[in-house]
Amino acid sequence: MDFTFSEEQEMFRSMFRDFSAKEVAPKAEEIDHQEKPPLDILRKAASQGFLGATLPEDYVGAALDYVSYALLIETLAHDCMSVAVTLATHVSLVAMSILETGTEAQKEEWLPPLAAGEMIGAFALTEPDAGSDAAALQARATLDGDEVVLEGVKTWVANGGIAGLFLVFAQGPQGVEAFLVPQDTPGLTVGYREPTLGLRSVPFNTIYLEGCRVPVANRLGEPGKGWVIAQRAQDRMAVALAAAGLGVARAAVEVAAQFATERVQFGVPIAQKQAIQSYVAEAHVEVEALRYLVYHAAWLVDQGGEFSFDASVVKNFGARVARSVTNRMLQVLGGYGYMEDYPMARKYRDARALGIIGGPTELYHVRVAQRIFSEWNVEITP
Amino acid sequence: MPNIIVLIGRVLDPSGIVFNRRAGRLFVNREEYLLQPADRCALEAALRIKEAGRPKESPSAEVVALPRTLLPDDDVLRQAVATGADRAIYLAGQVANADDALMARVLAAVVERLGGADLVLTGATTLDTGQGQLGPRLAEALGWPQIVDVWHVEAADGRVRAVRKGKDGFVAVEADLPAVVTVLPGVLKPRYPDGARLINVYRGVKEMANALEQWDVADLVEAQALKPLVERRGQEFPAERERGARVSGTPAQMAQTVAEALRQRVRR
Amino acid sequence: MDFTFSPEHVALRRMIREFAETEVAPIAAEIDREHKVPHDVLHKLGQIGLLGVCFPQEYGGMGAGEAGYCILMEELGRVCTSTATNVGAHIGIGAMAIHLDGSEEQKRKYLVPLARGEKMAAFGLTESNAGSDAANIRTRAVREGDSWILDGGKVYITNGGYAHVITVMAVTDPALGARGGVTAFIVETDWPGFKVAREEDKMGIRGTSTAELVFEELRVPHENVLGKVGEGFVAFMRSLDMGRLTLGAAGLGGAQAALEWSVRWAKTRKQFGTELANKQSVQWMIANLATEIEALRSLVYRVAWMVDAHQPFTQLAAMCKMYGSEVGSRAIDVALQIHGGLGYTRDFPIERAFRDARIAEIFEGTNEIQRIVIASNIFRDYGVRIRP
Repeated sequence: MDFTFSEEQEMFRSMFRDFSAKEVAPKAEEIDHQEKPPLDILRKAASQGFLGATLPEDYVGAALDYVSYALLIETLAHDCMSVAVTLATHVSLVAMSILETGTEAQKEEWLPPLAAGEMIGAFALTEPDAGSDAAALQARATLDGDEVVLEGVKTWVANGGIAGLFLVFAQGPQGVEAFLVPQDTPGLTVGYREPTLGLRSVPFNTIYLEGCRVPVANRLGEPGKGWVIAQRAQDRMAVALAAAGLGVARAAVEVAAQFATERVQFGVPIAQKQAIQSYVAEAHVEVEALRYLVYHAAWLVDQGGEFSFDASVVKNFGARVARSVTNRMLQVLGGYGYMEDYPMARKYRDARALGIIGGPTELYHVRVAQRIFSEWNVEITP
Repeated sequence: MPNIIVLIGRVLDPSGIVFNRRAGRLFVNREEYLLQPADRCALEAALRIKEAGRPKESPSAEVVALPRTLLPDDDVLRQAVATGADRAIYLAGQVANADDALMARVLAAVVERLGGADLVLTGATTLDTGQGQLGPRLAEALGWPQIVDVWHVEAADGRVRAVRKGKDGFVAVEADLPAVVTVLPGVLKPRYPDGARLINVYRGVKEMANALEQWDVADLVEAQALKPLVERRGQEFPAERERGARVSGTPAQMAQTVAEALRQRVRR
Repeated sequence: MDFTFSPEHVALRRMIREFAETEVAPIAAEIDREHKVPHDVLHKLGQIGLLGVCFPQEYGGMGAGEAGYCILMEELGRVCTSTATNVGAHIGIGAMAIHLDGSEEQKRKYLVPLARGEKMAAFGLTESNAGSDAANIRTRAVREGDSWILDGGKVYITNGGYAHVITVMAVTDPALGARGGVTAFIVETDWPGFKVAREEDKMGIRGTSTAELVFEELRVPHENVLGKVGEGFVAFMRSLDMGRLTLGAAGLGGAQAALEWSVRWAKTRKQFGTELANKQSVQWMIANLATEIEALRSLVYRVAWMVDAHQPFTQLAAMCKMYGSEVGSRAIDVALQIHGGLGYTRDFPIERAFRDARIAEIFEGTNEIQRIVIASNIFRDYGVRIRP
């Protein structure tokens, strides 16, 4: 077993860090406080090839392996989780779904503009009454000649407010189906952006589909087989979100450790206090453990086999570590950790999202338990 | 002789009650009581009249709180005094099924024992039973004029001036004092009790030491006056209300559905 | 043992709950969104005597004791942490310092209007080099005739932007340090030389003023020395102890609200064909939370009773603050998780309560300091003196 990154991956990591330090870090506070989408940053990222990170070069992609891509997400999240989540939605949820399940025609039509950043992809699955439950999807897809008519409401559509292309999931006659819907399709309206606790510059919008007609050719995959696409997308995203959690947790430890060496109370830097040492040490342990889980999961994606179970494990752990580390490191900063002109408060608010987006922690417990108990032939129903 | 008497009652807090339709009965999950909202408004009206000046030529205005029914303890009255009533009288007595007719007789006797009053104020309706009888029955028993369902009330120079809310609009009504006036809930915002006063009333100390008295019902009226008019034979609940419909779709679609439903209702 | 509240405290709670739900809850979201102090609500609280809830009636207070104060903080904490924080800083450390150590004249002059809510108070201790290490303050007070001249500044002062009266700690003898060199002064904020330099932009409790203050040749009359010259440290430790208990009460209120929200949501929200309340993961969260809340409730009111019975309570007050703030944080974290995405949006009160709760583990003495206080007291009972 070789636990080192390849030379190429190290080079990528260095490149990603330079990009992020220059383009993302200086803007992170502003885009959060103003709640505006990171459009400039995405444009710059596009010119680096990041928006087609894992897409083959034939489709204008950068052909990164998933491990390198996870490094990219981790690095971006270190400076701004919103940027990381926006990019991961575009790549892992939308572009890679088309790559994996699309026809040649679909890939040729949609992947190059996505890779070039000419259009941003948004993922429209969640509904007001349907979070993780496929059977509860109410959006409808009705065949009408060579068109499909989409009706319904989707909430929490990541990238909704800036997307050129929506990947929409709806109930067809044979089951859930996935459709590629360009933003300017009549009958698609982008609505309200829920103001949120964190990830304030990710444009999560509600979208409305009223008599929205798309050609049948825009259906992704087989009729009635859309749920598998959604699950695979979410599994890839789970690994990406865990990488984001790793990034924000690592950043929190760095900020807190530096602060602890500079803040003098009772005549010494607080780094000399054992309680502070415990907090930072424990956080480091958690971050290290997460690091290996994330890159192992990313490596599994690259192996091309099954990775759903490991994605569930790593998402669960990533959320836990990100939340607990940002919380503890905020405590190290004391009052400064609570002020919005220091980065820690934002990291804390952003990290909290990981327990919810991409599916709540409890759902991942169920998935892990399902796999474990199935080894004894017991089927778990959530 | 007090200037103003206020009748105050209590009601079970609706948020602590659950109605089980299958069992056909109410379950009290949390036994907590609220003051009757309309009675609180009556007390507020009384306090404002007192603060505005004396309703009749008397040396000092006084507001006295009396219970609207026979209660197991004097908490309601303590709350009234804490809120600003000068004093209160708790009525003790073991009387089964004390209804408004019975209470009107008892309260008339209390008023007489107090030497009369200028004005009696109480709520126009009770929250639980929706009854508005007590004020009118007491007015009859005292032989005083009554003005019910008032929106606004003032008293000065031996007259009471009120605005009643009727089906067709508002009507200004006046009467000579003494009179009985019933006050609608929800119009006047009842004030909060003064904190220090509340502490002292409940501890029965300082200026609040003698604010509460206790009288026995048996001393006020004859035994046959304590026979209730109403006999309770059972309870029945109204039919289940037609449930609302859940509306979904885009905002435009939902607005359309709701507008249509409202048009239908208006037609009906 | 009698675990019931006295009738006046039951009546008091009922009154405060109604006030909180009618006057405070409806403005909680707005003051957070617009970053403004709820002066109207504070004024109304003052009018009915609640801003002097624990002070004696002879000084304009309500005479409801520490138990009454805890009830107030609990009920306000249940609907709006920002409001509770304004009130807590005014009563619990601002006015409290004068109540504990003021002379008769000082109480007549300052405590009475503070207790009546005619004026508002704050407590000026923290400086940029003196957070947990409060003894490290640098603000200097130099005697000049019958006055003292104060120079220096304070940071993170709750209510600092609008208080009329602030109890300020200054160094009167640098050589002596905390033991004999710090004095408490009652400062009126409209005196020349007193300035509010800026307001902090905080993650939560945005309906409060957290101000940086500057003193430039601020002249304070000698009669405004609180307690004795050089004994300010003792004075402020006593105030902080009292304040800590009631922070635990506010945490209790917030945790209670989180539990109520969680139960209501779990009862309504369906996923996978059944209400969340039928999911064991949710049941476990609720059961664990409810148990901690009961433990906290017992702790807070027992300590309130001890204060009113004049028993020593420093260690227990620290436990109340530490445990109360941590239960408060755990509670709202659970509520947020149960509400899922909706709990993360600003359309629901959950995310505001989540941001508000976090400060409690930090201000009024970080929980690390509370642990040091608790451990010190325990070891001292065994004859050992530990150093932080």
